[in-house]
Amino acid sequence: MEKKRHNVWYKVLISAVILLAVMALSCCVGSVKIPVKDVIKAVTGYGEVSKATYTIVNKVRFPRICMASLVGGGLAMIGAVMQGLFKNPMADPSILGISSGSAFGAAVVIVFDLNFIFHGFTGTYLGAMAGALLAWFLVYNIARISGEHDLNSTLLAGIAISSVLSALITLLMTIHRESMEQVYLWMLGSFSNSTAQRTIYVAIVTAACFVILIIMAPRIDILKLGREAATGLGVSTSRTTGILLCVCSLLLAFCVANSGIIGFVGLIIPHCVGFMRVYKMRGKLIMCFLVGAVFTLLCDTLARTVIAPGEIAIGALTSLVGAPYFLYLMLKNLIRERRMR
Amino acid sequence: MNLELKNVTKAYGSFKALDDVSVTIPEGKLTVIMGPNGCGKTTLLRYIVNAFASKMPIAYVPQETYGSIGMTARDVVSLGRYDKSKFYISESEEDKKLISDAMRYMEVEKYSDRNLDTLSSGEKQRVFIARALAQNAPWTLLDEPTSNLDVRHSDILMSTISSLKRSSVIVLHDINLGSLYADNVILMKQGKILSCGTPDKALNCDILSKAYDTHFMSAQIGDRSVYVSSGV
Repeated sequence: MEKKRHNVWYKVLISAVILLAVMALSCCVGSVKIPVKDVIKAVTGYGEVSKATYTIVNKVRFPRICMASLVGGGLAMIGAVMQGLFKNPMADPSILGISSGSAFGAAVVIVFDLNFIFHGFTGTYLGAMAGALLAWFLVYNIARISGEHDLNSTLLAGIAISSVLSALITLLMTIHRESMEQVYLWMLGSFSNSTAQRTIYVAIVTAACFVILIIMAPRIDILKLGREAATGLGVSTSRTTGILLCVCSLLLAFCVANSGIIGFVGLIIPHCVGFMRVYKMRGKLIMCFLVGAVFTLLCDTLARTVIAPGEIAIGALTSLVGAPYFLYLMLKNLIRERRMR
Repeated sequence: MNLELKNVTKAYGSFKALDDVSVTIPEGKLTVIMGPNGCGKTTLLRYIVNAFASKMPIAYVPQETYGSIGMTARDVVSLGRYDKSKFYISESEEDKKLISDAMRYMEVEKYSDRNLDTLSSGEKQRVFIARALAQNAPWTLLDEPTSNLDVRHSDILMSTISSLKRSSVIVLHDINLGSLYADNVILMKQGKILSCGTPDKALNCDILSKAYDTHFMSAQIGDRSVYVSSGV
């Protein structure tokens, strides 16, 4: 058993090293190539670099790289929590209705041209955040109508609210066709608007949510045993579910408002981590954060470099790159399981 | 402590699943609850968990656990040792012993590293029971634990629970298995308790016929009474 536990931390360590390496590499590539040693000098402040290099690394690339890592890691963690809570391998962050709320808020701002800047935040960002919080408020209160947090009600309320908001977005785009492209591109997701200020906010929220989720992780495992079995172990299903849904919703609202809707990460990364034979929720959440961060960062690096100076929508790339790799892992795992029988 | 239930009524709409039930379930004994489908056995077990879990830990295994568990068999059994007061869960020597003993009792060591989702219903059920045994709680409550088990593992389960001398309440459909191992039997019908006591006193052909609305015959094998349904 000791060997097994070390194994998880070994995987965590390797993933963390890979993440740091990918972050450094990602800082080097782009329309201007920067050597690794200059990147390290610019980020750490030790050693002299040119002003241009300093600006590119610290003002443009580094905030974007951190944002992509935080959002990717956050989405993967939320996906793992959703799949654990709903005991459904197809559950992903979008079932909370937050993504649609965010998209609706952003669409309203874009369509009605409400583009203002408030304390450094654009109208689209604030609209997306307001939409996400509105959707969360509706889903949370509808699901709690019986007085307890009921997962089925949350799922149904999330789907219903999501459908209504998606329909409203379509309606808005149909009426204001001139804004269609802009709304559509926002929904496909991008990290191009990442600033240091936004990244710091996302980092604070992600760190707080990460700590709460890690503390509560064993309870997600216990909830899988059923309501009364959890009660017998001193875990309240209603309270635990309520806290987890609130934390995930807050984290998701920040992720989506900053990057748009990035599908696939929240659904697939928890499975990939499962294929790495990390099953218990605490180890799984840490691994999901790291693997989700690496995956999203790689996709974003490709998105901004392949057709530079243009960009590919990150939402399209995550599916295009991730799906074949996921299928490969799934087949490999199926073959291994068959051999074990 | 004994589980004292007084005038318990539980209703789902106008349907009374438990109708003014009063019973004392003795500590340190194996109590078996029997009765026809829908007579309130599961409701009674759930009531006990919800009423007493705030006072003491209770190991409970439901009839069925739905959905993907996505953990290895050992991971599931180790959940029995969860202590919410500890942030970092490191298994003590006692934890490890309880986990390995529980897995050995239920003969699930060989599935230790297998993902639970790949096991059969009976194998999963044995893992869940091992999880409850590893919890080593003052009370162990099992709802139809033998529904997916073969004859050998049903016997292993009942003899293990019986020999561990833990306070247990088990819902069973097998009258003869129940009467063989139980210290105390509760026979229910339509949300009420029809009879309660040692198997010799609480069970006979008349009362079983009344409970299940079917005729029963009994035969004596050694010092045991064996009951067989002789048709509606």
